[in-house]
Amino acid sequence: MSVASTGAVLRKIGLGGITGNRTALLISLGLMALLLFVPLALPGYQTLFRTTLVFVALAYAWNMIGGYTGYVSFGNMVFFGLGTYCAALLSARGIDNLVADIALAVVVNAAFAAIIGFPVLRLKGHYFGIATLGTALAVTDIVGNLDVFGGTGGLAVKQVDEAHFAIYYYAAWLVAAGAIAITFFVARSKVGYAFVAIRENEDAAAVLGISATKYKILAWAISAAIAGAAGAVYARGNGFIDPSIAFAEDFNVYPIVMTLLGGTGTVAGPFVGALILSAVNETLGHTFLKLHSLFFGAVIVLVVLLLPRGLVWLIGLRGGVRTWVKSLQGYKA
Amino acid sequence: MSAQPAPGGAGVAAPEVALRITDVGMRFGGLWALSEVSFDVERGSVLGLIGPNGSGKTTLMNVISGVYKPTTGAVTYAGKRIADVPTHDVCHLGIARTFQVVKPFASLSVRENVAVGAMYGRNGGKRSTRASFERAQELLEIVGLARVAERPASDLTIPDRKRLEVAKALALDPDVLLLDEVMAGLNATEVDEALELLRDVNRRGVTLIVVEHLMKAIVSISTTIVVLAEGKKIAQGAPSTVLASPQVIEAYLGSRWVKRQEQLKTIEAQRAEAVQIQPPEATA
Repeated sequence: MSVASTGAVLRKIGLGGITGNRTALLISLGLMALLLFVPLALPGYQTLFRTTLVFVALAYAWNMIGGYTGYVSFGNMVFFGLGTYCAALLSARGIDNLVADIALAVVVNAAFAAIIGFPVLRLKGHYFGIATLGTALAVTDIVGNLDVFGGTGGLAVKQVDEAHFAIYYYAAWLVAAGAIAITFFVARSKVGYAFVAIRENEDAAAVLGISATKYKILAWAISAAIAGAAGAVYARGNGFIDPSIAFAEDFNVYPIVMTLLGGTGTVAGPFVGALILSAVNETLGHTFLKLHSLFFGAVIVLVVLLLPRGLVWLIGLRGGVRTWVKSLQGYKA
Repeated sequence: MSAQPAPGGAGVAAPEVALRITDVGMRFGGLWALSEVSFDVERGSVLGLIGPNGSGKTTLMNVISGVYKPTTGAVTYAGKRIADVPTHDVCHLGIARTFQVVKPFASLSVRENVAVGAMYGRNGGKRSTRASFERAQELLEIVGLARVAERPASDLTIPDRKRLEVAKALALDPDVLLLDEVMAGLNATEVDEALELLRDVNRRGVTLIVVEHLMKAIVSISTTIVVLAEGKKIAQGAPSTVLASPQVIEAYLGSRWVKRQEQLKTIEAQRAEAVQIQPPEATA
């Protein structure tokens, strides 16, 4: 996003503020509250919605580093994967406690992100993207070849009996809600402004007293912690983990597409995007078994071309189609 | 300027040195953009930094503000070498700057832009988010941007972007403020307003280092002027004496111009002589 083009787009619309469009946020919170009733109202769809909530959390995780801080990571599935293995390893040692799973995943991931971030976050733009992807692939291979992690054979994760399965749903809901709350409060805090300042102009941010290294690492650690918590809950709900599940490309690509669709750098965007894409994915996945991944490619292209600021931005749009067309001209100019 | 070195700063009496530039040289590849530049900046003064295009003014600003590490020499402030301080900590020492090429955070509002400075500048640690926004609003009123506080920064006209740069720098609560061509592109009234603003800032005890092309503006505000040419300091002193210096005139207008002026002078003189001789012939 170049400065001039972003400016042209924003000129007509005004800003949604650092948290993005307020209406969109209220709608999202309402829907989020409704999701709390899924195990009671739609018990048959519990697994589907649990996965959706995991994706909601992952989208928020990506939004923190990719949306707010402007560092487009292509390796966030590594944090999800490590999170799932935290739960699996605890389970293998006879510790079956969701809180312990999540706590371990958060700590391990934040630490891992901080260590990896130190060299990797020195890179910018494409280089950063490639480095994160490389890190993710390397970790996938390491985990797949170590016996502690069960190698390619994977690990079983002990679950509660079927009657109490809703606990995994509520855990996923809490992680997603936590991700939204963290995003909301971080965005409105001083830290959120540091992230955005780094995204907009890292050199100018440094001159204003912002230590770019410190805040980039913080953003990545928060991102990693959220993704890790989502992974831990997913592992428990799934009951089994191997490298192909834990480090599946879906957990990498979907959250990015979801955030782009909803709106990067907003509080409501990832939720809106995750909900819509999960629903579409589910419908298409049944109808066209293999073709539905093509759909994601099409969505990325269309969103980047036609809706670079995401769906959430449309909700508060004044002036309708004309403003929208003008904004596109602004982007091309 | 006093030549006695006082490392450790803490000057007790008389003109206190705020910033000491010692033998600063800056090389880019084979080009020395600055060489052997030395001068002191007194606390509370206004130092005008002038020189033709490409003379190294902005490079020197970048060295002083810690963006560049000088190849030779050092800039010291309160006994600290600025080159040893990370860029993001320079403002915590009390040095703030504006950029000639303005750098607003495009997607943030004007007020948010300034608030970021208030949050992370020298007194930022003590300020809450709310207090930072209040401080930002005060500064926007001072620089005359309160009317556009809610607009995206990318929306501003060039003069307003310059004002925003000043407000962002002031939000850092600096002791020394470096202003890199903040008046470029302003009309006469706006220049007067800007000068009034800078005088006001200086009266509050902020030392100013001003780079400006507008001679009239810089002469009227500076207590001392330093002239750079081709990376070297060629003159320093009170505005009137510096501008009268032949070296400075030569640097700005070229040696050919100076030579031509001399030629013109001799021609004038010859003519005058000729005129004195001619009248009798004419009357005859």
